Amino acid sequence: MDRRHSKGRRLARLTTNLWLVAALVLMTAAIASQKPQLLDPGNVVAVLKSFSIMVMMVLGLTWVIAAGKIDVSFMQVAALSNMLCAWGLSQGWGWWGAIGAGLCAGLAVGLLNGWLVAVMRLPALIVTISTAGLCASLAAALGKGTVIRIAAPGPLASLLEPQFGGAVPLIVLPVLALAGAAWFVQERLTMGRYIYAMAQNEAAIRSVGVPVVGLTLLLFVFSGLCASLAGVILAENLASGQPMIGGPYLINGLTVVLLGGMMVHVGKPNILGTLTATLFIGVLFSGAALLGLPDYQRQIIQGALLLSGLVVATLAARHHGERRKGG
Amino acid sequence: MSGLQDMARQSARGLGFLALVALVGGALALAEPRFLSAASLNGIARHMAANGLAALGLTFVVIVRKFDLSISGVAAFTAMSMGAVIAAGAPLWLAVAAGIAIGAVIGLISGTAISRFGLPDIVTTIAVGSICAGLAFLYTGGRSIFQNFFQVGITDLNDARLLGLGVSLWILLAVYAVAWFVMHRTRTGMAFYATGENQVAAHFSGIATRRYIALAYVMCAICTVLAVLLILAESGNAETNKGANLMMPAYAGVFLGAAILGGTSVLATLGGILLITMLLDGFSLMGVPYYYSDGVISLILLAGVLAFSDTARGYLAGLVAVRALRRARSGGKA
Repeated sequence: MDRRHSKGRRLARLTTNLWLVAALVLMTAAIASQKPQLLDPGNVVAVLKSFSIMVMMVLGLTWVIAAGKIDVSFMQVAALSNMLCAWGLSQGWGWWGAIGAGLCAGLAVGLLNGWLVAVMRLPALIVTISTAGLCASLAAALGKGTVIRIAAPGPLASLLEPQFGGAVPLIVLPVLALAGAAWFVQERLTMGRYIYAMAQNEAAIRSVGVPVVGLTLLLFVFSGLCASLAGVILAENLASGQPMIGGPYLINGLTVVLLGGMMVHVGKPNILGTLTATLFIGVLFSGAALLGLPDYQRQIIQGALLLSGLVVATLAARHHGERRKGG
Repeated sequence: MSGLQDMARQSARGLGFLALVALVGGALALAEPRFLSAASLNGIARHMAANGLAALGLTFVVIVRKFDLSISGVAAFTAMSMGAVIAAGAPLWLAVAAGIAIGAVIGLISGTAISRFGLPDIVTTIAVGSICAGLAFLYTGGRSIFQNFFQVGITDLNDARLLGLGVSLWILLAVYAVAWFVMHRTRTGMAFYATGENQVAAHFSGIATRRYIALAYVMCAICTVLAVLLILAESGNAETNKGANLMMPAYAGVFLGAAILGGTSVLATLGGILLITMLLDGFSLMGVPYYYSDGVISLILLAGVLAFSDTARGYLAGLVAVRALRRARSGGKA
């Protein structure tokens, strides 16, 4: 292979890896030129806050989908943790007790999902649809169908305050650190290889001795824990427990994961892609709100984005497969 | 011989199912005597008609081993579309035809995307459902549509009776009869099942598998339109959240029926949806708050799928074998 050829290939790889970042920059510039308020410190804080919560919500989901499974219960796990946290506070458990209860709920649902999928071999969609219904129901029952207000701000409040010249909420840092650790696991550790191998051929990696059952269990537990952490942060951010908070996060979460799966490793959901796509969607929604688009139009745009992401990912996977077959 | 055995096993499952219906019905009647009143039974028939139609649509999709999560979105969009046509002063048949046409086009889009272009079924239908849920706001921006609803006669679908039974129940029975005949007595039905069992084998047997998968999604969307039509007839207006409560009962009905009656089929879905509707109506009659209903359905669905799963059956068989072995051993000692 001569040098010019490899240079061209490297450029091509760089564009497939980072086109979403370029799209993000272009879109931000385009919206900011129309509505400069997009870059106001207040707005940036709001965008980064929802970015942090969203990343927390879908960090585990990214791996579940990368492993070829599905989890549609994450948003209701967050709703349950959110309500459990608020309800615990109203019962006088104190903030740490309430946070612990919220995280335990995520752990429990994650274990249940993982056990049913990995050990009992039930279809992941049916399992997580049911646990989602169960969590939503419990969340609503905790507040008897209404919102539970939280009077006193808790230990996470300072994380949500803007720092660094009033433009960055501190919560971004731990969330990014966690995402960085997940990126390391995914890229550098054997476990990351196993996750992607599972999507390719589960039976094959089972027979070469990879602990598939344990890994599946771990992925669902991680997804449940991440979602419940997001739910707890939401309780602090909204100063209330909202039983209906889960609904919109389903389509948001899937869009982010699958859109992110179109960069870095095309056709495979990955942590860096999820981060970029979350910021992309966050800026898009903030811009759409500033431009005065109603909610339902944003929903249509998002569905269309998700569909186009799917088409590109499928085409890329097919192209890849054909090239591999060809030589 | 094996045909006879099969028949015996099927009838045993059927009897077991009838016993379960009697048990659930009896328990609900004991807990709430009004459960067996005429008004309550009529309510069950009406709700079963709407739930059953949506579940039938899902049955086609599950038979070809796919999933459809766009049911709620499709229901919302077609409900508002039919409402808009009625409000414009058009006759009822035109509104229904428009709804079915829109539903069929949406089903064709998801079906083609999944079968022809190989997109993943779950996420594709979630995306399509989300777009449809957004499109439902196009007509009025989210306000309810009720103009002309009483003049056009849509409420007759809910209120009118024929030979002592509600019209909606007759619609349900007629659609199920046609579906049963097509799916279980014709080559077309065999082709659906063959596609689900093994798409590659079916393809090499000369079955246009992609066409059948796409067709399953079209049928699912059309059934959803019919289901939401009955809901509009009951409430007398069209709102964007009209289809929100169709999806969970449909999934529970299809999978519970398949678990109890030993496989996805038109009759299994009918049985499953009967049980689910009885439970839902019974609970709402007993004054159980609305937010428990989804949880109860989810629990039943989970328990049903778990109890009848291959793995659980394997454990059970293992347990029985171990016990038999022990008994044989202790018998040998004595």
